[in-house]
Amino acid sequence: MLAAREKRTEFERQALVHVDALYGAAYRLTRNARDAEDLVQDSLLRAYRFWDSFEQDSNCKAWLLRIVTNTFINEYQRRKRSREVLDAATAEQDATDGILVHAEANDRKSPERALLERSVSDDVQRALDALPDDFRTAVVLCDVQGLSYKEIAEIMQTPVGTVMSRLFRGRKLLATALREFAQAEGYVREETRNAGAIVEDEKTVDLEKYRAAKAREGSR
Amino acid sequence: MSLCQSIDTLAMAYLDDELVAEEHRELELHLLGCVSCKAHVENERAELSLVRKALVAPPAPDMLKMRIARALDQEDRDSARATRRRLGSWLLPGSAMIAAAASIAAFVAIKTAPVSHKDTGDAVATATIRTHNRSMPLEVQGASTGPWLAEHFRRVEPPRFATPGIQLLGARLTDVSGHEAALVHYKVVIGQNQFRLTTVIIDNLSSDDLAGGQALKVGDRTLHLFQQPDGAAVTYVDEQGMGYAFAAERLTPHELLQLVVTSDLIGRAQRGQ
Repeated sequence: MLAAREKRTEFERQALVHVDALYGAAYRLTRNARDAEDLVQDSLLRAYRFWDSFEQDSNCKAWLLRIVTNTFINEYQRRKRSREVLDAATAEQDATDGILVHAEANDRKSPERALLERSVSDDVQRALDALPDDFRTAVVLCDVQGLSYKEIAEIMQTPVGTVMSRLFRGRKLLATALREFAQAEGYVREETRNAGAIVEDEKTVDLEKYRAAKAREGSR
Repeated sequence: MSLCQSIDTLAMAYLDDELVAEEHRELELHLLGCVSCKAHVENERAELSLVRKALVAPPAPDMLKMRIARALDQEDRDSARATRRRLGSWLLPGSAMIAAAASIAAFVAIKTAPVSHKDTGDAVATATIRTHNRSMPLEVQGASTGPWLAEHFRRVEPPRFATPGIQLLGARLTDVSGHEAALVHYKVVIGQNQFRLTTVIIDNLSSDDLAGGQALKVGDRTLHLFQQPDGAAVTYVDEQGMGYAFAAERLTPHELLQLVVTSDLIGRAQRGQ
């Protein structure tokens, strides 16, 4: 019992203090307050269950963000994508069992829910919606959470160069979208738009490549 | 190499504070003399600040903090309850509970795998969890799964569970950690909870091929329990060298273990002993 209480106290002291940060990341990843709450709660519960596997001296916030990101990628994205497959399978199983189910009726969003989701989304959320998932994740981890390239690379399991390029293009797309929304609503006049910000696809950003090239040059 | 050529990379790393001291100095020196790079950095700085300002997120609502505290309380209560009672009240009704209680009594942690062990067990456990978390389309669904496996994989019946609320969804072929494998999905409904259970089946294994993690004895059978950062897995190899690895989200390692023990795989072993 004592061990259990200590575990809870430690978890509260080290992990729960990051709940605002986690919510911020979840809010920007899911683009919707309700999903963000669910994501944070699921992730923290998962973290609590696996608290024993957290290495005490490492960065707790980065560990938690990793769980949030993985849960988001695995659960929330997957839930969206696999719904049809599972529905089909379930429907067939139900049919096999002789139970008639109106599978479609189960899953349709209620108008209230749709309205609620719309009302919490603002221009920023709309701009984020337009980003590919990987770009959005990189931008959220860096610009909402202040993680380093290396930490993001570990979470996303990609090389640092890939993180930089997702971050670079994600930011450009986001800045362009933000300006367009602002302009559409009359906050910004046309001439203040930065033509250079149209996404520069051909550009590559990679610090490691730069360092390698420089080292080669230096050794010549 | 001129810094101007790499200004995109350098400006970004500079503003993200990712340059080492020497690179930082070198760039700042360059910016003193290069008007176009200086303008580029300032432009990027403004854009970054626009993005960062826009992305500032609201703090967590108080309601959420309360919900989390309640969820943790619940979790504490659940794990405080004796595993046996918990199993009885949560997972299993009636006679299945008695059978399971008998099998729990037989749960003895026999050893933690020695370091010298082949780590295939670990690799398969990790791959199973990963496969479970990734959703791949099924090649066969529902009741035809058994015959389909016999035709396309091996003559093997998908495990069946005594726990009610577990429905066979279907299967597909896949590769798990270099082994040709069949992936069988189940839908689990327990009370308000609904989630998936994945079983990976691999043929032609020797009895310790899936060993590792924590070894547990059930009757005369040995199961292995793996606790990985992304979830838990339970593995088992039967007498015919057919290996099974189980993973389910939302279940603690022990809950998963309890579930596996109610499968006919272990049930058969128990009755046979």
